[in-house]
Amino acid sequence: MKIQIAGPGCPRCQATEKNVINACAELNLAADISHIYDVKEFATLGVRMTPAVLIDGKIVVSGRVPTVAELKELLTGAQ
Amino acid sequence: MIQTLLLAGLLALKDYIATHVLTCLVPAFLLAGAMVTFISRDTILDYLGEKANKLRSFSLASAASFLVAACSCTVIPVASGLYFSGAGVGVAFIVLWVAPAANILALTYTGSILGGAMVLSRLSAALLVAFAVGAVLTLAFRNEVRDLPPPAAPSQLKTIIARKHLLLLLLILLSLLAPNYLVRTGPYWQKVAVWLALTALMALYAAKSLPRNSLEQWLRETWWFVRIIFPLLLLGVFLVGVVGKILPEDWIRNWLGGRGLAPSFLATLIGSVSYFATMTEAPFVDTLMRLGMGKGPALALLLTGPGLSLPNWLAIAKVFGVRKAVVYVVTIIVLGTLVGWFFGNFIFL
Repeated sequence: MKIQIAGPGCPRCQATEKNVINACAELNLAADISHIYDVKEFATLGVRMTPAVLIDGKIVVSGRVPTVAELKELLTGAQ
Repeated sequence: MIQTLLLAGLLALKDYIATHVLTCLVPAFLLAGAMVTFISRDTILDYLGEKANKLRSFSLASAASFLVAACSCTVIPVASGLYFSGAGVGVAFIVLWVAPAANILALTYTGSILGGAMVLSRLSAALLVAFAVGAVLTLAFRNEVRDLPPPAAPSQLKTIIARKHLLLLLLILLSLLAPNYLVRTGPYWQKVAVWLALTALMALYAAKSLPRNSLEQWLRETWWFVRIIFPLLLLGVFLVGVVGKILPEDWIRNWLGGRGLAPSFLATLIGSVSYFATMTEAPFVDTLMRLGMGKGPALALLLTGPGLSLPNWLAIAKVFGVRKAVVYVVTIIVLGTLVGWFFGNFIFL
């Protein structure tokens, strides 16, 4: 599974990354997690509000910091 | 010397905390959190993507940015996202300008510190500048060939905000505005009483009408705003206290007082270079005005302070290219100066 976090480096984006990592750890999920900082790349991904989380290229969260519990639900749903 | 300065800073902090936290900041943060949670900003942005005629898309962009509470750093991804997914360059730069210069959060806060006349001026001046910026950018880059991504499949347009959420937003807005406008001159406890009553009403409504998870999400978003903006605000107020002590009054009166073109230009320049997080510009301008700054220059600083900053120039240049950044910054400095001068001479009499 490929998880991307899109954010320009703001505190909310860092918190999102941390929650994603924690969610994966709690689920024992081996995912390919990357954090995209380049604002120009957001448009090609379709991201407009940051922070955003993409699972396998699909935007699942945008414009807010998701909780670990919410991410776990999204991740198990995507599996 | 250092002791007096520290003391001045701490006194400013004490004064500020005593009179602003409860009746201005708490409702402002609740409002910001509610806007992020309940307004579907994605839907607003969907409307901006369509290529309507210029007047319509410019108005739409201005109105939309008014609701996207953001300081200049967070608005860049939004504006660039719009631009790179096909919106016009004018629209992108209007969002870039209006969201920090005149969002609803900064405006209501300005009002509770500096009064209604200043807010109306700030709003109308910001819109005036926005349309001019949109026109200049569109004109300057009209021949540019753009490499656009293929248009996305038309998404189902959802509603921007549900009615019960809108009502909640209005109640929060009321609890923010009423204490500061109804009790303009009375003792502070009266403000607190009005605030308390309205907040109780708002909380009751929220508890009754919202499910638990959206309540939680709202409070979580609110807490984010507190964590990000509140420390900056405290630091800003402290610095304002110190600066107010260092700068001799006649210096401010000479350089920033009156209604000439020069003080307005200087205020615009200060605002364009230095970074003000959303809302911090209001107490700063308040202090300078008490030390003798003119109303026109004050308005110029209120607009360009949060709207533009040196880090922000660099970020814009990186994302949109140096040429657009230069055109934008020069346009804003010219317009900011003119607006400050114009309002100083013809509106604030």
